[in-house]
Amino acid sequence: MSFYTINSLTFSYAKTDKLFQNISFDIDVNQHIGLVGPNGCGKTSLVKLMLGILRPRGGEIYLEGSNIKDISLSDVGKKVGYVFQNPDKQLFCPTVLEQMRFSFTYGSSEPGEDIDDKINYYLKTFDLIQYKNFSPVKLSRGEKQRLALASVLSRNVKFLILDEPSTGLDILRKKELENCLMTLKQEGKGYMIISHEAKFLDKYVDQLLRLRPEGVEYV
Amino acid sequence: MKIDPRTKIIIVFLISSAAVMITELSSLLFLLLLTLILCRLFSVALSGPIKKLRKLLYFLVVLALIQSIFTPGGEVLVTAGGMRILTTAGLETGISIIIRMSVIVFSALIIASAPAMDVVYGLIAMKLPYEIAFMVLLSIKFLPLFREEFADSLTAVQLAGADLVKIPLKQKLSLYSYVLTPSVIKALNRARFISLSMESRGFRAYPDRTSYCKLSMRGMDYVAIIAASAAVLLVVSYNFNIIG
Repeated sequence: MSFYTINSLTFSYAKTDKLFQNISFDIDVNQHIGLVGPNGCGKTSLVKLMLGILRPRGGEIYLEGSNIKDISLSDVGKKVGYVFQNPDKQLFCPTVLEQMRFSFTYGSSEPGEDIDDKINYYLKTFDLIQYKNFSPVKLSRGEKQRLALASVLSRNVKFLILDEPSTGLDILRKKELENCLMTLKQEGKGYMIISHEAKFLDKYVDQLLRLRPEGVEYV
Repeated sequence: MKIDPRTKIIIVFLISSAAVMITELSSLLFLLLLTLILCRLFSVALSGPIKKLRKLLYFLVVLALIQSIFTPGGEVLVTAGGMRILTTAGLETGISIIIRMSVIVFSALIIASAPAMDVVYGLIAMKLPYEIAFMVLLSIKFLPLFREEFADSLTAVQLAGADLVKIPLKQKLSLYSYVLTPSVIKALNRARFISLSMESRGFRAYPDRTSYCKLSMRGMDYVAIIAASAAVLLVVSYNFNIIG
């Protein structure tokens, strides 16, 4: 059974002008996919449908065999980690440390897991340890992006969806992100990355999924 | 036919003032009917807002129920342990609140049916300082902005694994306080950016502001204002027993 099964999916924001129509594809839990397509073709909308944030006009999405419309957002979130395109939308806690701890406090943690060690590791990796008592609102765009990445990567999820994760990162931080992606690969965790950076995708994904209004195709 | 935004502003002012003044349930029902007819005449689509209002209905019913409990008088309809819970007078007060709120919301839709900038030009033409007119526009935009920020934060909270249905009430309350503060900050920041953007384009650089948009009241506007004023006056007179 595939991790994600997308079946004849159709979506539009208005009743007319369909963004995409009848698209079908499967994703395995350990697959590494790049989602590409021109601006405005609906990449982020497709991801929001896959997470259950948006509802499709037609077709179904199955996550581990269950229809996404029957699963709560929190249950989706326990299986799939999502880095938003705009980190401002993802950060809601009063401090950086609380943002990192949130999923472990309100979500789930594995027994015997040393949460503090894990959090400190990712804060150090993304050079955020000195900001741990800062409000995320006061961070720069790049720092917010790093915090969004760190908080999602530190979680125990089976699959990750990263919406333009390298935006706002300098060369050094992009390298750290690349290391994290390598680690995920070694751990056997799958991910899907939306990006316009062909070089970045070439290095870290196994397959490219091209989204067009008339359908999707693996290239 | 294009109606001048001032016509809409005047009519909405008359209706909402009448909604506050009127006390009788039957008069309020007439006013609601008049508001719905005007919405129809101004081609206001009601299906979408009614759907959104349904979410507010629960709040309105609770509000009406509280009002009805604390309003004595009339026949007792429901008692609990010898205490009057609901009386006919209380029920009437509760229903009046729901209708009054509906009148205010539906009448506001008449203004909302005009483009936001037209409303600003209308207010300026009514001799309101342009700074205040733009402030009104920004404050109208602030609420949906805040709602959007709050909804985004709630989505992020749930995707981070927090189940808003299953977690205990105490945790749920602290969670909402978590989300509320950054939502306010983000909405304020966005409002600040809008004002910065306006000022960088010369807003308030001069005491007056010129515009390509020239409003003009036509015969149809005067007819609409006179007809709506007469209808509102009729309902108010009926409420205070001046007629009928």
